[in-house]
Amino acid sequence: MHEFSLAGEVIKLARDEAEKHNALTVSEITIEVGNFSGVEAEAFESALGLLSEDSILEKARLNIVRIKGKGICPACYKEFEMDQRMDTCPECNLFPSEIKGGNEFRVVSLMIEEQ
Amino acid sequence: MCDTCGCGKPEGFTIHYPKHTHEHEHTHENGNTHTHAHDHEHEHEHDHTNEPDHKHSHEKVINLNIDILTQNNIIAGMNRRFFEGRKVLCLNMVSSPGSGKTTLLEETISSLIPSRKIYVIEGDQQTQIDAGRIEKAGAPAIQINTGSGCHLDANMIESALKKLDMEANSILFIENVGNLVCPAMFDLGEYKRVLVISVTEGDDKPLKYPKMFETSHLCIINKSDLLPHVDFRTDEFIKNARLVNHNLEFITVSAKTGEGMNLWYDWIL
Repeated sequence: MHEFSLAGEVIKLARDEAEKHNALTVSEITIEVGNFSGVEAEAFESALGLLSEDSILEKARLNIVRIKGKGICPACYKEFEMDQRMDTCPECNLFPSEIKGGNEFRVVSLMIEEQ
Repeated sequence: MCDTCGCGKPEGFTIHYPKHTHEHEHTHENGNTHTHAHDHEHEHEHDHTNEPDHKHSHEKVINLNIDILTQNNIIAGMNRRFFEGRKVLCLNMVSSPGSGKTTLLEETISSLIPSRKIYVIEGDQQTQIDAGRIEKAGAPAIQINTGSGCHLDANMIESALKKLDMEANSILFIENVGNLVCPAMFDLGEYKRVLVISVTEGDDKPLKYPKMFETSHLCIINKSDLLPHVDFRTDEFIKNARLVNHNLEFITVSAKTGEGMNLWYDWIL
């Protein structure tokens, strides 16, 4: 359940940014979660929901953007979308030689209310 | 950060010298009770947001695009510079529980200690059993108890490093919490990540837990003495692991009988 400690990091990050901008509150937070990031989006959402009580994110809408994995085929060199780490190139049926996306886990933006 | 509840307080984990078991058990109990005093400052802000005036407040979007593990990665970078500065070889040992990491380290310590100074940071949710075993084997050890946390992070290592007065040109083993999932995400500042797998596990593990295989440099296949008694197919395991990480190296050992251990020592030195 590392989602709890990650949710704690997100709250700290949001608090620091909100302070920097003299925000009254954060009304929305957008987070990208890649499907190879090692973060379970549902578990993260529950953890953030529990931990955000009495924090700057208490009233914030959580907007999770899921990012699909991307692999490069070792034969045709085309980029293909991956749901699972062991997905193969849809044309050549080969495992990717390189992973180009899906490891994202970042705060994209905050919507703040300022005075 | 606190891994018990993510409250951001550092007391979520406790650090022990294994020799002082009794004194520190008390701190450990205290350390796990969290009061969220710091959070209260925000209550005032929320009181204000309920006031009608704020219908006139302005909304503004702040674009961040910031990795959530940034703080961990910054501290991991500082740890890495520290190791480089002292020429300390730091290896992060990861595995599922029961793969034989501690036994492997005990053997490694007794074999290498004549030539190199060795230190160990032990990570477990509870108890100081492992740090005690390591000290008996002859290496200074620090135990980190993560409480209910499932992994070590860079901040815990930084705290432990302050207590280990390490000599230059030494080796530091970090024995991570036994878990094939969470520790994969957290850079501790290690030079290389060593994944220990035992032959009592399935040879399809790399397909089920790809992230750990993807982020490791060496895979030690331990308990080779049990191979005749289990269904583990080493070739199949290596094939699966290479699908996820084609740069992964493999060494098959039995920490119990000593078979293959010289290959591991050669890899370290």
